[in-house]
Amino acid sequence: MDFGQFLSYIASGTVYTVGVTLIALPSGLLIGTILALLYVYGGKITAGIMNLYSTIFRGIPPVVLLFILFFAVSKGINLSAFWAGSLSLGVVSSAYQMEIVRGALLSVSGDQLMTARAVGLSRMQAIRSVVLPQAVRLAIPPWSNEAAIVIKDSSLVYALGVPEILRRAQLIGASSQKYLLAYLSAAVIYFLLVFATTRLLTMLENKLAIPSNP
Amino acid sequence: MKKYLLLAVALILVGALLVGCASESTSVLDKIQKAEKVSVGTSADYPPYEYLDDAGNKTGFDIELMEEIAKRMGVELEWVDMPFDSLVAAVAGGKLDMSISCFNYDEERDKTVDFSEAYYTTEDAFVVTSAFTGTISAPEDVANYKVGVQSGTVQDGWLTDNLVTPGLLPEANLSRYERVDQAALDLANGRIEVLMGDYVPVQALVAQNPDLQIVYRGVLSTGPINIVLPDGDVELKAEVDRIIQELQAEGFIDELAVKYFSE
Amino acid sequence: MPKPILTIKNLTKTYGNNVIFQNLDLTVNEGDTIVIIGPSGTGKSTLLRCVNLLTRPNEGQIWLDDLEITAKGTDEDKVRQHIGMVFQNFLLFNHLTALGNVKLGLTKVKKMSDEAATKKAMHELTRVGLADRADHYPGQLSGGQQQRVGIARALAMDPRIMLFDEPTSALDPELIGEVLEVMRQLALEGMTMLVVTHEMGFAREVADRIVFMEKGYIVEEGSPDEMFNHPKFPRTREFLWKITELYGKKEKEAD
Repeated sequence: MDFGQFLSYIASGTVYTVGVTLIALPSGLLIGTILALLYVYGGKITAGIMNLYSTIFRGIPPVVLLFILFFAVSKGINLSAFWAGSLSLGVVSSAYQMEIVRGALLSVSGDQLMTARAVGLSRMQAIRSVVLPQAVRLAIPPWSNEAAIVIKDSSLVYALGVPEILRRAQLIGASSQKYLLAYLSAAVIYFLLVFATTRLLTMLENKLAIPSNP
Repeated sequence: MKKYLLLAVALILVGALLVGCASESTSVLDKIQKAEKVSVGTSADYPPYEYLDDAGNKTGFDIELMEEIAKRMGVELEWVDMPFDSLVAAVAGGKLDMSISCFNYDEERDKTVDFSEAYYTTEDAFVVTSAFTGTISAPEDVANYKVGVQSGTVQDGWLTDNLVTPGLLPEANLSRYERVDQAALDLANGRIEVLMGDYVPVQALVAQNPDLQIVYRGVLSTGPINIVLPDGDVELKAEVDRIIQELQAEGFIDELAVKYFSE
Repeated sequence: MPKPILTIKNLTKTYGNNVIFQNLDLTVNEGDTIVIIGPSGTGKSTLLRCVNLLTRPNEGQIWLDDLEITAKGTDEDKVRQHIGMVFQNFLLFNHLTALGNVKLGLTKVKKMSDEAATKKAMHELTRVGLADRADHYPGQLSGGQQQRVGIARALAMDPRIMLFDEPTSALDPELIGEVLEVMRQLALEGMTMLVVTHEMGFAREVADRIVFMEKGYIVEEGSPDEMFNHPKFPRTREFLWKITELYGKKEKEAD
């Protein structure tokens, strides 16, 4: 097998890696943001439940959740390995993203909310029009971190048989005995994915930055 | 990995009790024939039983055998690749119709899945590097050294039951690996001193690496290898067994062995 | 007959064991500028926040025109539309331009069209002298400019009464003047204003009545002439002269 075939075999797993990430990350963001809003603005009991959610799903190794979802839950609902994997990672990511959004919401000074109320905005309007836009900007740097983590964690779906980058590197490495080359190739591909993503997010951060004279 | 597997299997049993009782039990053979497709799991990281050729396609002793079996069943074959540890749970959980991946019969596995008739027999082997200075005259002697093994295999079971549990081999000296090539790497760099594995794949490793040598060969944990089938499906087992016997009688399996196992 | 816009009766506010203020009575008539003075920490800010329903009093009642706003079941959001508030720390919305700040209440609360809101907002910005800074963000404005935007933001809602909570206390001395000037203009135009401040010059010149609060009580209230020249209580005289000395010096230097 020449190097070109070798590399392209591993690289063809990228579509699965990207696919898993594109499901896990946005679903984590949607759920995480809703839960964060409930956590910060929902009252004591709700906050307690959210805290429990966060503790559980940040405390379980993602691969355990993957197995539970794939083997146990899908006895009733039939989930493919790809979906079981992506959704599990989405749930785990949502717990971390909830903490990120929560941190960002709390960083926006409470005075901003109070002032919006003073103008006459309702609580919901104030959160949506004054707090959230400012929180978004604060959330981008830690979110960029989470995105990198999810891209790399996507490799966990190999345990369910999804033919993504890492699994392909394992197979071709074992079959050809060229382990170092296989894993190095995988590492380079992951690096490129993470690098491109974080660059894009930095560009977004700069675009959204609020102008000021230092 | 093994811990999570047991957890998953336990959950499946619970799930099966709750859900399986309510659903009607359709034979998997029926399902396969209706769909005209059989989905088979394997872990293609185990030359020469299952591995990838230069074009990235699956090849190997088990692979070719299974392809012939599917042909004789009159259905299409759909390969599903999974790490070895996940395969049994996948068959038990109905995610796969069957699995071929150099499985030895194992009581533990038998609780959740069934086995076909044996289609071949394997042996165990102990491998060391040329730097090894110890002596292994009997299999139990490996307890004196640092040993590596692929996790979840019958070799793993043999070492655990016969050496670790009676206290002959300290738990800390037994390293379990997800794949046999990982163990071989550690053997080459000195992290472990002895590797216990299936004779044939280990022999392939030794052929590629002149620094490795086999110091013992025999039947300890291994023996016959079988196809893993869904629990309790007598019709499917009857069909698969029938085909295996056919292939054996025709000499098909012997030819495959010569093709893949010649030293 | 002067019409009261704001009536406060028997207002009491406590935090735990601390009494912030007790049994306060105050009336603000239409077009009045009432200035509240007194040492820090005597509950002046808290009083304003009670008027705006940002804090709930423990006892007492507040009326805005004829509506008792402290009554149970009052729509607080609606009430706040009619009360404009200007804060010591400006508290502009950081992610919006000056124009955006002033427009927000108009589009979200008054449901005006974007066009109409922009027109009204520009009108208010012009009124405070900042039409040319409409597209600047708070981070690009000086403190005095930010505060003037804050005033425009409150004015845009066409409030019945404007509350000022130490509007110049966080400003550099050079920038205080521009804000006080805007406030003076407002008072002249007949806006009803309740102002908490240390700016004695402003109190003397612009206030219709000065209220002196200390330790949660209103010690004395009266016209500027009465308070400065014939105060009834020694404490009043003491406080006023101390402050005037301090701030009077500043004014002389500014001339």
